[in-house]
Amino acid sequence: MSIYLFQVASQKSEWLSARETAVASNVANANTPGYRALDVQPFLAVLNTSPLAMAATNLGHMTPTLSPGDSLREIEANPSEETLSGNTVNLEQQMINLGEVNRDFSMTANIRRAFHQLILSALK
Amino acid sequence: MVDPLQTSLRIAASGLQAQSTRLRVVSENVANAQSTGPASGADPYARKTVSFESVIDRASGANLVEIKAIGIDQAPFKLERDPGNPAADANGIVKMPNVDVLVELADMREANRSYEANLQVAKQSADMLNQTVALMKDA
Repeated sequence: MSIYLFQVASQKSEWLSARETAVASNVANANTPGYRALDVQPFLAVLNTSPLAMAATNLGHMTPTLSPGDSLREIEANPSEETLSGNTVNLEQQMINLGEVNRDFSMTANIRRAFHQLILSALK
Repeated sequence: MVDPLQTSLRIAASGLQAQSTRLRVVSENVANAQSTGPASGADPYARKTVSFESVIDRASGANLVEIKAIGIDQAPFKLERDPGNPAADANGIVKMPNVDVLVELADMREANRSYEANLQVAKQSADMLNQTVALMKDA
């Protein structure tokens, strides 16, 4: 049970890191002509479509992890938000996403720490 | 695989660099808003423009940003009548730079705003890395 929770927590942090990368590239390219804003797939979709797990028959086998490139998708742009140069980045929206990522990441880290302490207190 | 948080830091750094180059060009334009040509009837300072382009980082697949080109604004020069000016031609007309200081100030504000946004991303990525490291501290 708790092991499963740790797995979900690390999947969530990986997903949040990938999202941070998407926000970073949107912000950096906020003035690049023709750049289309990116975001990652929603976390629920990532959880549900976890790829067919390959059997790990040996301790040395590694399980596939989320890579930021796989889950990136383009945000459908509202025509009014597209600038004349074809850029669809909305800086305000990116700052909101940045705040979301920050809060969720702290929450995940804190939950993980709390469960770790629970396990430790059971052991002592 | 490259760590996505470190990739974010690199992307933000490329954004900071691009925006500061833009600010440099703006300050060149403002500083030379009154620079006439070196000789009688010569062309004055021509306004410079900056354009960005998105570059894929090969190691991480991330979209970095780079300066594509620093170009010259092709807009015509302003003509002023000032016979006493050393740069005036035989008719007393001086060619003044095609710099509009108001446009430059607007550009400066936008560069400033984008720079702040990139800085915010860089700070937060570093903060997230620190939080991950802190998980190991109280174990």
